[in-house]
Amino acid sequence: MPDEPEQELELTSSLVPLFVITNGRALPPDHEYEHTTLVMAAQDAAATARTLSPEAGQVMALVTEGFLSVAEVAGHTHLPLGIVRILLAQLEEDSLILVRRPIPRAERVDRELVSAVLEGLKNRFGA
Amino acid sequence: MKQDTLVWCMVAVTVIAVAAVVALAARNRALGAKKQQSEAELRRQLHTSDSHLHLSRAELQRFRSEQDGTLREAKEAAEENTKAVLKGAASFLQSLAAEQTTLLDSVQRKYGGHAVLSDLLEVNHANAQMARKAQGIAVMCGAPLGRRNRPASVYDVVRSAQGQIRNFHRVSVMQQTALALKASAVAPVALAVAELLDNAASFSQHDAPIEVTFQRAQSNLCIVIDDAGVGMNDEDRQRATELLSGDVVPRLSQLGNQPKFGFPVIGLIARQYGFKVDVTGVSRYGGVRAVVLLPEELWTMEETPPAQEAPVSSILRAEGRSQSGTARTTHGLPKRGARQAPIASVPGPVATPPAPSAPPAPERTGRSSGRSLGAFQRGTLSGRNLDTTSPEGSEDA
Repeated sequence: MPDEPEQELELTSSLVPLFVITNGRALPPDHEYEHTTLVMAAQDAAATARTLSPEAGQVMALVTEGFLSVAEVAGHTHLPLGIVRILLAQLEEDSLILVRRPIPRAERVDRELVSAVLEGLKNRFGA
Repeated sequence: MKQDTLVWCMVAVTVIAVAAVVALAARNRALGAKKQQSEAELRRQLHTSDSHLHLSRAELQRFRSEQDGTLREAKEAAEENTKAVLKGAASFLQSLAAEQTTLLDSVQRKYGGHAVLSDLLEVNHANAQMARKAQGIAVMCGAPLGRRNRPASVYDVVRSAQGQIRNFHRVSVMQQTALALKASAVAPVALAVAELLDNAASFSQHDAPIEVTFQRAQSNLCIVIDDAGVGMNDEDRQRATELLSGDVVPRLSQLGNQPKFGFPVIGLIARQYGFKVDVTGVSRYGGVRAVVLLPEELWTMEETPPAQEAPVSSILRAEGRSQSGTARTTHGLPKRGARQAPIASVPGPVATPPAPSAPPAPERTGRSSGRSLGAFQRGTLSGRNLDTTSPEGSEDA
């Protein structure tokens, strides 16, 4: 150690750690609250919203006026997406928000299977 | 004739008796004188040996105090040496932990959309506990505490403290308050509250709640911590009060094998930064009520709005306006237009958020799906934080 320990250490990290903001809650599963999932405050949410943590309150304030995508919520709150998803999961559990999930993407057909079928057809009918 | 003989005999006997008496008296006198002489002699001897004894006793006392002094000096020197060694090591650990916290902060933001985030949060929790211990040891050794250069609401300071203990989810902060701590008080109060919370958590059952409330008493701001633990007896209470006042600073060697830093650390920083801590109260659950009493020099009435609030409020204002605007169908129903306001307020990757006082420009009313898509993309990107991990992002968080 250099002999200048009297110099005060400056703490630059964020004061409130993220795991306190989420209260130690785990991430929701991957398919929940994707980027394009839309969220909006429930009708009677305003009364209970006062007891929320400032971050959850901020999310609620963003979605009171209408549907907003999860990605946009994350962008506005400057919180990491995962943290926003945890907060949203908590809010939905408390039925403070409505969630509209995106239409699931059509599944890709297995290319090998298709070529196997094609192969079979060719063998059967001769091309 | 016979009578004469008798008379003479009597005379002779008398003479003999007188002689004997005289001789005996003389002897007696001599003996008395001798006795007195020897008594005086003995007394003198006793006196001298007494003074000898006195001298030796004084000497012994002197030696003993000298020895005590030397021992004390040696102990103090040893203590100072230990402290000096530990101070260096603890400061090193402290700065390393702080660096790691900053690093973890940016990593968490970088991988905010990734599943690894939950593990990162746990790592950060472990790191926060380590940082607290390192700070405690550093304070015990006389090293300076870390410093924050921004004031923060007392609510956030308590949440910061909450993150530094193991079972942090048992702690619930019952009120939110806008009262802010001055920048210089943020780090010490956070550490003191963290030590008190740790104490509350360790001396109560593993699922018992710990409640934090705030109270203003005259010009003081109090942080009140109630636990549902076992409470303290009078002896413990007295000892705790001594330690917390900072009057009694135990030696490092007195802290025991599983050192109890908590109260001595709180006492030291409370004295250094000018606040008071009391643990003699009884909580409403029958446990300990700890009160951190902050004099008015350490806090202000001013609110410290979080830096991110500006864009949020501007969206709401803008949305309200567009709803009352002219975009309506022929049947009088509001037209669903592309979102205007979020577009305007989503900051670009490098753009700083608009100043809170700047009203949104009034001419943004037309539809523009192109801009909307662009904004959506930017929002997505900043949500995922893929390419916007600029140093500003982690700094203003």
